[in-house]
Parts: sequence; C-alpha cells; structure tokens
Amino acid sequence: MKQIRAISIIDDDPITVFGIKKMLNSINVCDDIRAFANGKEAIDHIKELITQNQPVPEVIFLDINMPIMDGWQFLEEFINLPLEEKIRINIVTSSIDLYDKKQWEYFRQKTHHLIDFKNKPLRKSEIAAITKAA
Amino acid sequence: MLNNPFTLVGKYDVVLQGSQTNINNYLIKQLPKSTVFLDTKLNVVYASDSLVQEFNLPKSTILGLPISELFDTSDLEWSASMKACLEGLNQEKEIQQITDCTNCTIWVEYIMIPWYDQSENVIGIILQLEDVSNRILRELEQDKLKMHLREKSEIANIGSWEYDHETQKLSWCNTTKKIHEVADDYQPNIDKAILFYKEGYSRNTISLALFKALENKQAWNEKLQLITASGKEIWVNAAGKPLFQNGIYKGLIGTFQDITDYVMSETKTKESEHLLRTVIDSLPLNVYIKDLDSKKVLVNKSECDYLGVDDPKELLGKSDFDLYDKDMAQISRDEDLEVMEFQRPILGRETTSVKKDGTSTTFLTSKIPLNDDDDKPYGLLGISLDISDLKQKEHELRDLINVTSLQNKKLINFAHIVSHNLRSHSANFSMLLDFLVKEVDEDERENIIRMLTEASDGLLETLENLNEVVAISTNTNIEKKPVDLGRLITKVEQNLTGFLQTNKADIINEIPKNTSLNVVPAYMESILMNFITNAVKYKHPDREPIIRLSLTKNDKDTILSIEDNGMGIDLNKYGDKLFGMYKTFHNNQDARGIGLYITKNQIEAMNGRVIACSEVGEGTTFKIYFDETN
Repeated sequence: MKQIRAISIIDDDPITVFGIKKMLNSINVCDDIRAFANGKEAIDHIKELITQNQPVPEVIFLDINMPIMDGWQFLEEFINLPLEEKIRINIVTSSIDLYDKKQWEYFRQKTHHLIDFKNKPLRKSEIAAITKAA
Repeated sequence: MLNNPFTLVGKYDVVLQGSQTNINNYLIKQLPKSTVFLDTKLNVVYASDSLVQEFNLPKSTILGLPISELFDTSDLEWSASMKACLEGLNQEKEIQQITDCTNCTIWVEYIMIPWYDQSENVIGIILQLEDVSNRILRELEQDKLKMHLREKSEIANIGSWEYDHETQKLSWCNTTKKIHEVADDYQPNIDKAILFYKEGYSRNTISLALFKALENKQAWNEKLQLITASGKEIWVNAAGKPLFQNGIYKGLIGTFQDITDYVMSETKTKESEHLLRTVIDSLPLNVYIKDLDSKKVLVNKSECDYLGVDDPKELLGKSDFDLYDKDMAQISRDEDLEVMEFQRPILGRETTSVKKDGTSTTFLTSKIPLNDDDDKPYGLLGISLDISDLKQKEHELRDLINVTSLQNKKLINFAHIVSHNLRSHSANFSMLLDFLVKEVDEDERENIIRMLTEASDGLLETLENLNEVVAISTNTNIEKKPVDLGRLITKVEQNLTGFLQTNKADIINEIPKNTSLNVVPAYMESILMNFITNAVKYKHPDREPIIRLSLTKNDKDTILSIEDNGMGIDLNKYGDKLFGMYKTFHNNQDARGIGLYITKNQIEAMNGRVIACSEVGEGTTFKIYFDETN
C-alpha cells in the first residue's frame, strides 16, 4: 500500500536526486517520484497538472541554490497557486546561511502548506518521518 | 519848568520874599540831581526839573502838593526818616522800593537833610532822590548769573580761572580748587598751578601753551594729566586764552574740567574694542557683520584671508554679489533676508561656498540678526567655520567604510559559498558512503562508486575555482601596466577563432587604435575572454551573434563597453545575482556560474567596477569603468 500519490524532487545535483530517490524507494512509500533540475521546470510541471485538473505531488523535496529559478523563487510562485490541498515541502540544502533560515520562517508564515527545513545530507532514518502527507 | 511860581507862593507856609523866591526857584529848577524842597507839612515847595523828568511827574501841578501824592510814603522807614529830619537830624542814604505816581514799583535811593532858614530854624526837608531801579535790577541779575555760573560749574565740574597780568594774581573758582583738591582759601599762582601738572608730557604741554598764548595770542585746549594735592592722578581738560584790551595784554582766562571718568571710560572702550578686535581676528572662524543691504560692515582676519585680501577695508561696503558668482550670492542674500526679515537665526547650517576662482569650501554657517535698541533690525552677524578638511576626512572615512563593508560583505558571501560548496560535496560523500557500506548489489555498488568519483572531481574543481578567486582577492601586489587594448582584443579574438567561427560570431572593434589602458594584462585578457564567450554562449537563437566593443570617457573614468545582441537577461529578476558565484540563469549545459564572479573580482582588483544593462530578447551591454586617476 503506497501512502503517497506523487513526490517531486527539485535539485540540480544528480547525486542528491539519486540519494533521495534511493532512500524513498527503500521505504517503498511512493511509485510516482519525479526529479526536476530547477524550480522553473518543477513549477511548469505543477501548473500543467493544475490546468489538466490532475492532482499535484503531495510531498516536494526542494533545493535552494539552483540555476534559472532557485528554491525561494519557486516557493514564491508555488504558494500563490490555487491549491486547497496542504502540500508538504521539505527544503533540503547544504546552506547554513542565516538568510536562508529567515526566508524559511518568512514562507512558513505566509502559506498554509507545511514547509520543513533540512540540512544535507538527509539520513535514511529521518526520511520516513518527512515523507508523509501534510 | 514851573509856569508861574508866583501864583503859588501864597499857598506856602514858609513865605519867601519876592525876588529871593524867584532866584531860589530858578536855581533849584536847574539842579542836576532830582531834588525836592518840602515844607514842614511835607508839601512841595521847590522841585528840580530833573525830578519831574526822572520820575515822570506832571510838570505843572507838583508845587504845593504833598510829597505823599508824588511818592507812596506810607513806608514806615521813609516816614520816620522825614520826621527825624524835621527835628534837625541828618539822615543816611537809603534805598527803598516805592510806588511812583504811575503805580510802578521802582527802586529809589534817597537822602534827606533838614532845610534851615537864615536863623537856623528847620523850615522843611531837602530831599534828593535817584531812581536806581536799573542798577538794582542789574545787581540782582548779576547775583543770579553768578549763582547760575557757580551751580553750573559745580554740576558740570567745570571750573574757571583768571590771571591778572598787572597784579600777577591767579584766581581759581571753587570748582577749580575742588578739582585740585585744595582748600577754598588756597592762593594759587602760575608757578604752583603748572607744578600740579604731571611731569613730562602734561607739564611740558601746559608750559608751551602758556608761552604760545603770550607770544602768539594763541588759545589752548588740552587733555592733560594732573596730580592733585592729595596725590591723585586725574585727567583734566585745560583750556585758556589770553585777554587783550586795545591790543594790550591784560591776562588770561580759562576753564578747567575734570574728565577722568570720561577718559577712563574712553580708554576702557578703546581697550574693549581692541580686545574684541583681537578676539575676532584670532578666531579660527570667518566673522562678519552685514548691513540691511547685505553689505559687509565688519570682517575679521579669517574672512580677509579666505577672500584673499590683506586689508579689511577692501571688503567693507561690498556685498556677496561683488565677491561671488551671481547664483552663489543670491543664495546667501536670500539667507540674509530670511534672517533679518523673520528674525530667525541660522545656526550651524552646512553651506558650500564657491569663490569666483572656483575654489569650493564647506562651511558650518551661523547668521544671527542684529537689532538696535528699538528692536529694529540693522544687519546680521555671520560666523562661518571652515569644515572642508573635516568634510574631506568624513568623505574619505565614508569611502573607507564603504570599501570595508563591501569587502566584508564579499568575505561573508565567499565564506558562505565555500561553506555551501564544501558542505554539498561532503554531504554527497557522506550519503554515498553510507549507501555503499550497506549495498550488496554489485552493479549498484559500482554505480555509487562512479558517483563518488564524480563528487570527488566536483570537489576538486570547486577547490580550484575557490583558489582562483582567493588568488585574485588576496594578490594585492598585482602590477598594472599600460596595455594596448586593440592588440589585446585581437589576441583574444585569435585564441577564440574556432569558437567564434563555429558560432558565426562577429566582433566589431570600435576602440581607437593605439588606445592604451593601465591594467593587469592577464586579468584584462581573462575579462575580455569571459565577456566575449558569454556573449556568444548566450546568443539569441534567431540571429548570429554580434559583439561591439567601444570606449568612452567621463570626468574620471575610461569606460569599456561590450555590447551583444544575445538573448539578454531579466535584470529585475537576476540583477543582484548576475555576478554571484555559482549562479547560472540560462539552461546552458556549459554554465558553471563562476565566470562572471571571477571577472568581477578581477575588475575590482584593478580598482574598476562593472555594471550590466540588458533587455530580454534584445541583448546585453557590460560597461567596465576604469578609474585611471587612481
């Protein structure tokens, strides 16, 4: 029984994408896992789903530093999408910049979606806890 | 003249005989002094014509009239005297105020003696009268004048003195004596008087003045010092002039005034003025006073120095319109009017003053309205502190702070970049190793090891990039030298020939030949290489890339422009990240996100700066500012 309908991984680093996918597969939680190399690709995909009236991913793993559209720019657009469903967004970054923490606080206050903040590397032991529908 | 004495004779008690009477009458009539003969009943028997004239008596009717009708004799003394006289007693001369027949009050001096006949019998009174009203009034007037003079001289402290040449006598009035601090009965003489003057200038001056007065009939008026009897040193105004009568020297008269207070206050005022002048001239401030027309009426030394004149007189009467440009002067004049009209002082306002020669000075200016006793404005007091040096230092300090904070920001940014990049690699290592340890599937293990190698290569590259950046930022001893820009561009073009040909890129070099720029040659080459490759990499998909290089100049910078017709970039979105490390904006596989970051560091290492202008779909222009003055 798969608990999660669909998961998106947004990260420009293929190794991180490989790692998260591998961990998710090991707990066998979802069959529909997609990866996007930057925020732009991901948001375009989600918008497409909305226009086609299809369900959006319930859990999103989001990197911050990416080309073209970074994590924060993605969030800025994402929280303005007409989504009633509460989505879980796990920010996964190697940044320890205080600015990024502040940005996280800022977005948490601004949206009904659940936003979590994790430093790389993600551990297998914690992946199950953050891969639940919000 | 009596008209007919004969007809009157019969009326008298004392009958004079015929021709005798006539003779008497005729003689008495001619007496030069007013005289009247009275009988024992005090009726007029004879009277001199002078009496009638002197006292305005009616000519025809006085003979036979009682004296009381001619003069009011009700006064007791007068009556008593007459009575005594009739008893044969001579009377003293008297002066009395009486009322004459015209009801005027006059002063009369009279003397009466008994009138004897041949038998020594008293037959009446001979009365001689003189109207002395004028004399008495004059005497009174004189008394009054003297009193006035005394009062005046006491109040004004102006004494007088007189020297009689004939008697060699010098007389001082009381005030003069008081000024000398001698007793009222002090007897001065010329020698003593001169000795009162202070030895030296004062005594010499007065001696000379006296000499000149006698020699040249010259008057004098001198401010001199005097030592009083009690030893007090005072200032006096001594004035005098010789008196001549019909050309003959008679003596000297003069005035004498104690002016110590005046001289002292004058000295004090002068001292205060001098002190004030010294103070304002020594102040390291520009001080001036302007009148209602903003014309200078006082300037201090600093103001003179500032405006480049030696003598304050050169500035007095001049307005700012004479000293500064019209615009500058108008600003100042407007300030002045504001201060004087609205009585609103300007305190510590920062102003910039530009002289006609273009020198600019920053002042901390205060302008304070000046009002007279009636609170009417008559000008303003201006005080300006030259803070140009301070301003310059402040400017330098601000620049330094800017540079420091910029460098600090760069440093923090760099630290974050380093931290982020190293962490992301180490996180990957950690994760992949974790997988590897637990992985049993051989293929997957190989896959993981391949990724570990990739991660290792990535880390190595990152370290190389960081190293390059550190080298640029820390190498402060880089040597700048003049480089022919045109030749450098040709060199870069040659190095990129293949790349440019493949992309059908065209470089238009508009930089004038033999343009030399003071740069670090290696950096400059790298910069040109980077901008040109970027321009080609991010070309517009629908057209062949054209890159235009040109050079312009402004006041202090030489500006190199590199303009392309590429796809452009939305600077509103990415502007702040354009030159950031590991920021890439286009979906380009070659983008490493390091080129512009290094380029910017290289430009800044040469004291230059770079800005970008871009329009999406149109192209991008990078402008590099080289500060050649530095």
